[in-house]
Amino acid sequence: MQAQQGYTFFELMAVAGARELKDGEVVGVGIGLPVVASFLAKRTHAPNLTILFELGVVDPEPIHTGVGLADPRVWYRAKIMSSFVDALGTVLHRGVMDVGFLGGLEIDMYGNLNTTLLGDPNGAFRHFVGSGGANDLASSARRTIIIIRHEARKLKQAVSFITSPGYLRGAGQREAAGLAGGPSRVITDKAIFDFEPESKRMRLLSIHPGTTLEEVLAEMSFQPILPDHVPFTEPPTPEEVRLIREEIDPEGIYSGR
Amino acid sequence: MSSKLATLAEAVASIPDGAHVALSGFAITRCNMAFARELIRQGKRGLTISQCVGAMDADLLAGAGVIRRIIYGGGSLDRFGRLNCVNRGIEEGTLAAEEYSSLSVAFRYLAGALGIPFIPIRSLRGSDILERLHKTAPQDIAFVDDPFSGEKWLVLKPLHPDVAVVQVQVADEEGNAWIFGPRWDNEEQVRASARTIVITERLVSTEMIRRNPELTRIPGFRVSHVVHLPFSAHPTSVYQAYDYDADYIKEYAQMTQTREGVQAYLDKYVYGVKDHWEYLERVGGLERLSKLIADPVLGY
Repeated sequence: MQAQQGYTFFELMAVAGARELKDGEVVGVGIGLPVVASFLAKRTHAPNLTILFELGVVDPEPIHTGVGLADPRVWYRAKIMSSFVDALGTVLHRGVMDVGFLGGLEIDMYGNLNTTLLGDPNGAFRHFVGSGGANDLASSARRTIIIIRHEARKLKQAVSFITSPGYLRGAGQREAAGLAGGPSRVITDKAIFDFEPESKRMRLLSIHPGTTLEEVLAEMSFQPILPDHVPFTEPPTPEEVRLIREEIDPEGIYSGR
Repeated sequence: MSSKLATLAEAVASIPDGAHVALSGFAITRCNMAFARELIRQGKRGLTISQCVGAMDADLLAGAGVIRRIIYGGGSLDRFGRLNCVNRGIEEGTLAAEEYSSLSVAFRYLAGALGIPFIPIRSLRGSDILERLHKTAPQDIAFVDDPFSGEKWLVLKPLHPDVAVVQVQVADEEGNAWIFGPRWDNEEQVRASARTIVITERLVSTEMIRRNPELTRIPGFRVSHVVHLPFSAHPTSVYQAYDYDADYIKEYAQMTQTREGVQAYLDKYVYGVKDHWEYLERVGGLERLSKLIADPVLGY
């Protein structure tokens, strides 16, 4: 994919995610591309980032790619190994988690995320992973960043099930529900979105190089807010690509090579 | 304190049908696999299982029809696949699932451990998880006003399992136990439960425990049985002891895609062997297991 540009769309998503993280922040990470993005940020502009996994693993430095959070490979060289109550309780619920970094099956125009089921909640459905710590992160992190594939069946007008709340049905609803934070960015393999402050609806922020506006809209089940001028996403640097390929995900498990 | 050493069969026999059992597994690590296989062999029925993240131990029990109800925060076999048996039970309506988030279940154990009547939480609000809990577990959720600020809070009822079953790396015969690596919900599970069964890879003297008491995560005085059973989490991993056995987890994920496959799996690895030792021979014996032993620097 995109060999002529020197990077894959998965690598571009990871790089875009990394650039959203600021030095010194505390980030709670689900497995997959958010892990690649967080480790990339830590090796580039954010050396003082604290990376935290829900089961109680803080600041690991893996040298092998794991199959998930339950794989001791991703716990390697951690500074702390504790518990849900410590990681999600005393950090996230306490209100000092800057970023929740999530993936999902489906997302809607208000950033509500589904990882539970596909189908009609009252009829036939297929059940998937559910929340894990995702709902907790989406409820209490100061902001959330979501990485998801750009497909019409994933970018939905309404999701089948709200596992992790975004802005629910629009402005004011998160506050009314007593929730902190909210989604700040949605990163796909075609574009990056933010949320328009008044309506809390998803708004196109940039389009990835090599992609057109028509391609972005064709693979969405709703119309995002379109500003007058939409720039191209800044492409990955050769050094960022090298770090992903040689150090962070050498087997290409999450970066799709 | 007297010895609580027991065989796996004795420890399992102490659990009555219909009991609420908290399991220590997380996806594919430190799962109570030998314990689950023995529960199935003894024909237990109607259990309630709870854990923060649904794991392979709960899924095998769901597949064998041992459990009636699961209280959990979602779960998977990581990249090996879904919890096929739990999911099928939910999809077909044969398993009562009370589905939360990881932290919600952890807070319910914490409230149980502290002996407090309820615990406020910011999670779940505004989600369909909460909508569904209004139907599946209305007795366990409520909203109250914070008496200090007046703010409205979701509160959860404590969990008090009849027994916690925890896989550990090291324990003495009183049940004082060390857990290496992250402990997810295990410490709160033990303290919320009426009693605990410890299943340990390695048995040490109480003198060894006394020399490193700051490592003790499970207090022996809360433990009813200690089962010394190496490789009892196979095919899942035990940090600093052995790695997961990928081929056998893949086989499980493949076979459990159908009910017929689940039965074939049970016939091969549960009913087809008389005990844990025969199971270990069935999966390749010492020759295979020795290849899984963890590197002490890596921990896997």
